[in-house]
Amino acid sequence: MLARLAAKRLHEIRHVFRQSPQVSRSLSTALNYHIDSPDNNPDLPWEFSDANKSKVKEIMSHYPSNYKQSAVIPLLDLAQQQHGGWLPVSAMNAVAKVIEVAPIRVFEVATFYSMFNRTKVGKYHLLVCGTTPCMIRGSREIESALLKHLGVKRNEVTKDGLFSVGEMECMGCCVNAPMITVADYSNGSEGYTYNYYEDVTPERVVEIVELLRRGEKLPPGTQNPKRTKCGPEGGNTTLLSEPKPPLCRDLDAC
Amino acid sequence: MAAILRGALKGIKEKGLGNFLRDLKEEGYLKCLADGNLLQTKLHNIGATLVGVDKFGNKYYERLGETQHGRHRWVEYAEKGRYNASQVPAEWHGWLHHITDHTGDELLMLKPKRYGAEHRENLSGEGEAYIYHSKGHALNPGQRDWTRYKSWEPAKTDSQ
Amino acid sequence: MGLGLLASRALRPAASRLLRYPPRHGLARAIGSTPERQSPEASAAQAQPDPAPELPPRKPVAGARVHLPNPEDAIEVFVDGYPVKIPKGMTVLQACEVAGVDIPRFCYHNRLSIAGNCRMCLVEVEKSPKPVASCAMPALPGMKIKTDTPIAKKAREGVMEFLLMNHPLDCPICDQGGECDLQDQSMAFGSDRGRFTEVKRSVVDKNLGPLVKTVMTRCIQCTRCVRFATEIAGVQDLGVLGRGSGEEIGTYVEKLMTSELSGNVIDICPVGALTSKPFAFKARNWELKGTETIDVTDAVGSNIRIDSRGPEVLRILPRLNEDINEEWISDKTRFCYDGLKRQRLNDPMIRGADGRFQAVSWHDALAMVGEVIHKVGPEEIVGVAGKLSDAESMMALKDFLNRMGSNNVMCEGNGKHPNADLRSGYIMNTGIAGLEKADVFLLVGTQPRVEAAMVNARIRKTVRATHAKVGYIGPPTDSNYDHEHLGTGPQTLTELAEGRHPFCSTLKNAKNPAIIVGAGLFEREDSDAIFSAIETIAKNGNVVRPDWNGYNVLLLHAAQAAALDLGLVPQSPDSIKSAKFVYLMGADDINLKDIPDDAFVVYQGHHGDQSVYRANVILPASAFSEKEGTYENTEGCIQQTLPAVPTVGDARDDWKIVRALSEVAGVQLPYDSVGGIRSRIWTVAPNLVSVDEREPTTFSTTTMRPNTNQKISPNDFGMAVENFYMTDAITRASKIMAQCSAMLLKK
Repeated sequence: MLARLAAKRLHEIRHVFRQSPQVSRSLSTALNYHIDSPDNNPDLPWEFSDANKSKVKEIMSHYPSNYKQSAVIPLLDLAQQQHGGWLPVSAMNAVAKVIEVAPIRVFEVATFYSMFNRTKVGKYHLLVCGTTPCMIRGSREIESALLKHLGVKRNEVTKDGLFSVGEMECMGCCVNAPMITVADYSNGSEGYTYNYYEDVTPERVVEIVELLRRGEKLPPGTQNPKRTKCGPEGGNTTLLSEPKPPLCRDLDAC
Repeated sequence: MAAILRGALKGIKEKGLGNFLRDLKEEGYLKCLADGNLLQTKLHNIGATLVGVDKFGNKYYERLGETQHGRHRWVEYAEKGRYNASQVPAEWHGWLHHITDHTGDELLMLKPKRYGAEHRENLSGEGEAYIYHSKGHALNPGQRDWTRYKSWEPAKTDSQ
Repeated sequence: MGLGLLASRALRPAASRLLRYPPRHGLARAIGSTPERQSPEASAAQAQPDPAPELPPRKPVAGARVHLPNPEDAIEVFVDGYPVKIPKGMTVLQACEVAGVDIPRFCYHNRLSIAGNCRMCLVEVEKSPKPVASCAMPALPGMKIKTDTPIAKKAREGVMEFLLMNHPLDCPICDQGGECDLQDQSMAFGSDRGRFTEVKRSVVDKNLGPLVKTVMTRCIQCTRCVRFATEIAGVQDLGVLGRGSGEEIGTYVEKLMTSELSGNVIDICPVGALTSKPFAFKARNWELKGTETIDVTDAVGSNIRIDSRGPEVLRILPRLNEDINEEWISDKTRFCYDGLKRQRLNDPMIRGADGRFQAVSWHDALAMVGEVIHKVGPEEIVGVAGKLSDAESMMALKDFLNRMGSNNVMCEGNGKHPNADLRSGYIMNTGIAGLEKADVFLLVGTQPRVEAAMVNARIRKTVRATHAKVGYIGPPTDSNYDHEHLGTGPQTLTELAEGRHPFCSTLKNAKNPAIIVGAGLFEREDSDAIFSAIETIAKNGNVVRPDWNGYNVLLLHAAQAAALDLGLVPQSPDSIKSAKFVYLMGADDINLKDIPDDAFVVYQGHHGDQSVYRANVILPASAFSEKEGTYENTEGCIQQTLPAVPTVGDARDDWKIVRALSEVAGVQLPYDSVGGIRSRIWTVAPNLVSVDEREPTTFSTTTMRPNTNQKISPNDFGMAVENFYMTDAITRASKIMAQCSAMLLKK
C-alpha cells in the first residue's frame, strides 16, 4: 500500500520535473556545430557529378563574376539533391570552393535555412506542416500517425533508410490543410520531386507511405476525392449562375 | 492553555514523571526559558502540521490558514543549543525557502546516486581547524612565501 | 564605456529635464513613469518648443573628432536641440558622439563594419514613425535627433530586456564582471526586472585555442568577433550559425583561431563570452593597478597597459594610439607576461672552479668583473646589447666600454656592417600610419605577419580599403591579404633593379609606392649590395620624393633603432671571434660558438635563457615591466616604459649595473640618475629625448649611401622569424607562448 502510494507520488513528481519535449522545438535536423562521424567529416572526398557540373555552370552564369557568392543557395540545393537529401560537411566545402568564399560563409547559410538537412534523411523525407491552420485541422495527429507507423522519432531515419519525418513551417496550402510534403531523393537530382499531398488524414498518410514504399506513383494535390484542387467539397456553392454584366448608368438620362 | 496542560498530564500518566521530565529536557523545553527564539518556535508549533523530519532530526512544520504568507513554513532544529541555518540539508532547503512545494523526502527520492556529497553543517568558528588564517599569519606557516616568480635554477644545467 | 561615464550621463539629463519640462511632471519623469511613454505623440509635441539658445556647451564623447575636408559637404543636424556640424555620410550615432551624447551600443565598433543587429542604439528622430538604429542610419541635413525622450528610453529598456532574456546570471563567476558593457548598460539603461519566465537557452562552448576562453551561453550575438576575424585579423573562421533563438557564434567544424591578433576579440567582446584563458579567474579588474607603458617584444612598440596586482603582472591590454597600433595588439604582446614570472635571474652569480654557479653579493660579482676587465687588452673587450635593451643602458654600456678603450659595442640583429650614418636607411620613413596612403607595396625579405603583426594589420587594412597591390620577395609564406609572390631571392631584386621585371611598371605607375625591407637582411653578408639594389629600385620607381618617402626598413627588435641612433657599431666586424672579455647585456640570440673558449663572459639580463649557460658571471637585471627605459620603434617614434611591478630579487636596472661596474673598474661614468644619462643621450642622439614624438628623417638614402663593391650572393632570403610566438628571452620563458607555438603553428 505504502509502496504503491510512494510510487504514485514519485511518478507525479517525475512528471512535473520532466520537461515537455515540445518546449525547445528546433526545426533544423542537426546541431549548429559539426561532429565528425565516419560518413560526415571534412576528409571525405565530395564532388559534383558530371551531369551536375554543367548545372553548376548554368547556375553560376546567372550571377555576375564578382558576386559568385550569391549562388550559394542554389548550389547547396543541388548538392543536397545529389547527396540523397542531406549535406555533409565536405559537400559544403565543395560549394565554398566553387563560389570562392571561406567555408564558414557556406556553413552560415546552411545552418540558417532549415530546409538544408545536415544529417542523414530518408530517401523520402516527409515534412508535416505544423503552422496554425494545419495544426487546427489536425497536423499533430498526422505526424504522430506517421511516426507511429514508421516507428521512428522526428528527424530520425527508418532502419531501411527509406523514410524520415520532419516538420515544416507554412507551405502556403492552408486552404487544403492539413498537408504533408514528400521530398523524393530516391533518384538523385535528376528525378528529384517535391510534392504536396493535401487534405490528408491519419489513415491517408499511412496509405501514402505504403504506396511510396512500393514505389508507386500517386498524383500530388488534394487527397479528398470529393474536391478538385482547392475548390470546395461537392462542387461550387456560390457563383453558380452566369455572372451578370455590371450595371450601366443610363447616360441619356442626365 | 488547558489543552497543553491536559496533554502534559496525559504524558506524565503514560510515561511516568521521570521519563516525562527527561523528554521535556531532550525536546528543549527547559532551554526555552533562556532562549526566546526556541520558545517562539515551540509556541508556533502548537497546531501546526509536522511535514517531515530529516536525517538529522530537524523537524519541518507548516501552518496554512491564519499564518501570514511567507511565515508559514519553519524548522525546529534538532540541535537545541547551538543551532544555525546551515544545519538544514539541501533537500529540505528548497521547501523551507519556498523555492519548491516538494518536501525534502520527495526530493530525496529523485536524488541521483552518482553525485551529491553528504550534507555537512558549516562549522566556521568551531575551533582551530575551521578558522581561516590569512597568508602570512603565524598559524598558516605554509603560506609565507610572497615571491610571485620562479627563479632560474643553475644547478641542473651547469655543463660548460 | 566606463561605468562612471554612464552614471554621469544618466544623471546629467535629469537636471536639464527639470528645466525643460513643466515642473508638475518633474518628479514623475525622473522615476521613468508611464504617461508620456504611453502617448509618445503628446510628449513629442511637448518637447518640441525647446528653448534652443540657452544651452551649455557639450564636449564630444571620447575625443570624437570632426574632420571637414571641404566645408560644402558639411551638414547640420540637431541632437537634443544642440546644432552640430558634421560631414556628409556620418551616421546618426557619430553625430551624437560629436554632440557629446554617448549612445549605448553593443554591436557597433568604429573600426569594424556596421552590423546594426543589437538595436541598443535606438534613438528617436523627428518625423520618423519608429525609433531608428542610430549606428546604421546616415545623418541627413536638418535631422532632429532626440536621445533622451521617453520613446528612446523605452526602446533601450525593451532591447535590454530582450538581451538579458537569454543571458545567464553569471556575473559573480564571470571574468568580464566589472568591465562588462552589458553590466554597465543594464545598470544605466535597463529595467529593474524582466518578464521572461521560461527556460534560458544554453550553448555549447567552442574551443578557440589556448588564448581565448569561450562561454558561449553569455553571447549576445553582436557579431563583433566575427567581423573582427573577417576584416581585421583576416582569418575567416568565425561565423554566425543557426537562426532565431538557436543562433550562435562558432566555427562549425572544430577549428582553432590561428590568428596572431586573436587576443583582441577578448577586448571587443561586450560581454563575457570571449575572455582570456590565461587570465581566467585570476583577478577582478578593480583589484588591478594599470601602468601605461609600451611593448618591447617586437619593433612596433605597441602602446599597452600592464595590469598588475602587487608584485605580479596579471595581464596586458592595448592602449589607443592611432599612429602605431590603433587599438589592437598582437597575441605575443598580450600573452607574453607569464614569461616575466619564470626563469628569472634574481641573484648575482659567479661560476666557480667546478663549473657550478654560486650566488654571491653584488659587491663580489662587480669586483670580479672589474678585476678581469683590466687583465685583457682594450681591443679584446666586446660588448653586445640584447634585443630588449633600452637606450639608457646601451648608452651606459657604450660609454663604459669606450672608457675601457674598446670600441666594439654592438646590438644583436643589426648585422656586421650596420649602416648607422643615415637614419633614413634603417627606420620606417613612411611611418606606420603613413602606410595607409600607399597604393603599391613591395615587401623585400620580410614577412610582416610574424615580424610585426601590427604593421601587417595596417597593410591589410590598406589592401582591403584601397585594393593596393602587394609584391613580395622572399620564401613562400601565408599572408592574410592578396599578394603577388615575385620571387624568393636576390635574383628577383636585380631583375627589378634593372627594370626587367613586370612588377616594375606597377611600381612606376603607382602614386605612392612603398618599399618595405626586412631587417633580417642586415644579417646577410651581402647586405650592402642588396640595399643598394633596393635603392636603385626606389630611385627608378620614384619612391622617395619631397612629399612622399616610401622607403621603409621594418626592424625586428625593440632595441635596434635606438642602438643605431646611438652608434652601437663595432669597430671590426669579427671582433667577437678574438675577444677575451665579452659583455652580453641581455644578448641571447648571438651565436655562442663564435665566442672563444677562453673568453670571460659576463651576462647581464633578466632571464636564464641561452647565453647564461656560457656566462662566467651573471648580473641580474630588470625586465621592461620593471624599469623606466626609452625605446625607439621601427618608425622612429620615441616612447618610454614605466615600471609596473617591483624588480625581482636583487636585480637592478641595466644602466645602474653598468654605472656601478664602471666605478668598480675605476672609470666612473659621470651620471647618477636617469636624468643625467638622458642628458648624455641628448648629446649623442637628441631625437631620443623627445618622448612620444617621431623625428622624421632629413636625408633620403638614395643619394647619400657610399658605393659598395660587394657582390650579391644568389642565396634566397630566409625567414627572419621562425616562430612568431617565441622571439626573445621573455617569450621563450612563457608557458602560454610555448602552448601557442605547439598548438597553433603545427601544420
